[in-house]
Amino acid sequence: MPKDVWICIKLIQEPFVFDCSAAEQKPKDPEADNKSDGSEETGSDKILAFSVSSSAKLVALTDDTKRLVLFRCEPSWQVISTRWVVRRCTSLVFTEAEDEVWAADKSGDVYSFSVVEPQKTGELKLGHLSMLLSMTLTPNDKYVVTADRDEKIRVSHLRSPHNIQAFCLGHLEFVSSLLAPPGHPQWLLSGSGDGTMKLWEYESGRRLQSWDLKQLRDMPKSDTEKETRSAVSRIAGSPGGHHVAVQCERVPSVQLFGMEQGTEERLMPSSRLTLPHCPLDLTFDPQGRLWVLLDSRETPFLVYTHTQDSWQCDSESPEMKRVTEALQPHWEALQVSAGLESRFQHLYKGNFDNMASYREKKQQRLQQQKEQGGKKRGPGKGQQSNGASKKAKKGNQPGPVTKASS
Amino acid sequence: MSVSMPQKRYYRQRAHSNPMADHTFEYPVCPEDMDWSQLYPEFFSDHQSTQKAAQVEFADIGCGYGGLLVELSPLFPKQLILGLEIRVKVSDYVQDRVRSLRAAETGSYQNIACLRSNAMKYLPNFFSKGQGLVYTNTDVEEVHLWMVKHFSEHLLFTRVPDAELVDDVIISRLGTCTEEGKKVQRNGGKNYLAVFRRVEDQN
Repeated sequence: MPKDVWICIKLIQEPFVFDCSAAEQKPKDPEADNKSDGSEETGSDKILAFSVSSSAKLVALTDDTKRLVLFRCEPSWQVISTRWVVRRCTSLVFTEAEDEVWAADKSGDVYSFSVVEPQKTGELKLGHLSMLLSMTLTPNDKYVVTADRDEKIRVSHLRSPHNIQAFCLGHLEFVSSLLAPPGHPQWLLSGSGDGTMKLWEYESGRRLQSWDLKQLRDMPKSDTEKETRSAVSRIAGSPGGHHVAVQCERVPSVQLFGMEQGTEERLMPSSRLTLPHCPLDLTFDPQGRLWVLLDSRETPFLVYTHTQDSWQCDSESPEMKRVTEALQPHWEALQVSAGLESRFQHLYKGNFDNMASYREKKQQRLQQQKEQGGKKRGPGKGQQSNGASKKAKKGNQPGPVTKASS
Repeated sequence: MSVSMPQKRYYRQRAHSNPMADHTFEYPVCPEDMDWSQLYPEFFSDHQSTQKAAQVEFADIGCGYGGLLVELSPLFPKQLILGLEIRVKVSDYVQDRVRSLRAAETGSYQNIACLRSNAMKYLPNFFSKGQGLVYTNTDVEEVHLWMVKHFSEHLLFTRVPDAELVDDVIISRLGTCTEEGKKVQRNGGKNYLAVFRRVEDQN
């Protein structure tokens, strides 16, 4: 069983390595041993999500075995607690106040876990009817924003999550990433399997701007559009609020956006960075440099600095060298290449037209009745097959359409 | 052109459909994009364009064969009533039924329509946030108690006491005009009613 290792590098300290497979095992439930239904499921120790608190003093991660591990980083790295989530999670986020860490799971539920009482079990806060893919909190912990596979972005009051403030509706596929960009307290950025990034005023649900990342890459529309669908896998914002970086899965470039000078605040595409490989992740550091993680043992990191209206790659950065040296010994164990598999491809929904086969049968029945003229049909002959057909036919236009038909 | 009434026996479908499964539905991206004129053509004809656009004010979640829609239509002639039904055959029946009724009586039944959809998932796609009342009705006591519990515990709903419902025209019909309601009556069952009002968040 390959081990999965997670590395966190704080630039002023020694690197810290945590191996989930060596972490605390779930205590066996004596009652469960008596059950013969074989529902005991074992996950891998793969890490599914992590989060760093705003002060960078706390870190939380969650894995495929359904652990939720809370760490402190100062004065030194230490596990504070290991708790258990009900279902596998996809997203973790600390509150700004650092009193809670929120977890969104695959069944659509959101739980909050106390940081102040690190052993306390999670509390159910809100739920979607679909797998949650991303979550973020807005400034001052006012709202929790959750995004799901049903194209929905929901904005709820953090302290009373049953109270939905607004929905941000506009994406045509699952919503894969969210960002409350620093420096813009009313804004929310979202990325989707539909290949677009949208900017919202989240409190009202009003859409402000939208960009098709594929068009920005100057990709001509092709017949094989479906095969080249690329979900937005990461949106990052610079600490000063001037830049946004966007990553699409399996695309070897980063799209950058900057603030347009003008009466109204608007975001504009600024430059596109071509990369030697597809990126796994990206983030801005507190100095505003863009770090990109690549699938390359020799050069896992690229660091870009913004100088005079362009992004320059700094290949001599001492921090980058330190981080690279810390990462390389663990490269094989990290199974970095596994990260290149599409995380999102399976989330696109299948096209099953439930109505098509029913309509066909109905047409046949009506045609037969017409041909029979006014002849009465006995109830026995009028029987129809029960239930909607389970055999799927590929139809077109499933899911949201811009105009509904009756 | 006469449109004959659909016969229920051609539209039978078992009562339970899994709302968590990925059936394919059409739904608007957002409420603003919804074209209601397809369902209620008389209400959106040209001469009405200067008036305030009509809005759906009643939603029958799980409308079945449309009994309640047909009953309420003449009682609220200026208001739009929408039935939501997840089952393929049953929603088709209601749509055929409405077409047939509209053809038989000019000007009538223009305010009711049925959509095939999964209300649990897609209600926010069709409707913006609003205030209003939730009417629940069932002949199964456990279901009634479950609904009462959850709505009562929900901080955004409060139960409307029976005394306030004495003159309510909907209440009297809830248990009698639907397929299920008639079945319950035939079997001598009991109807459990509960109505809830959406309230403001106290925080």
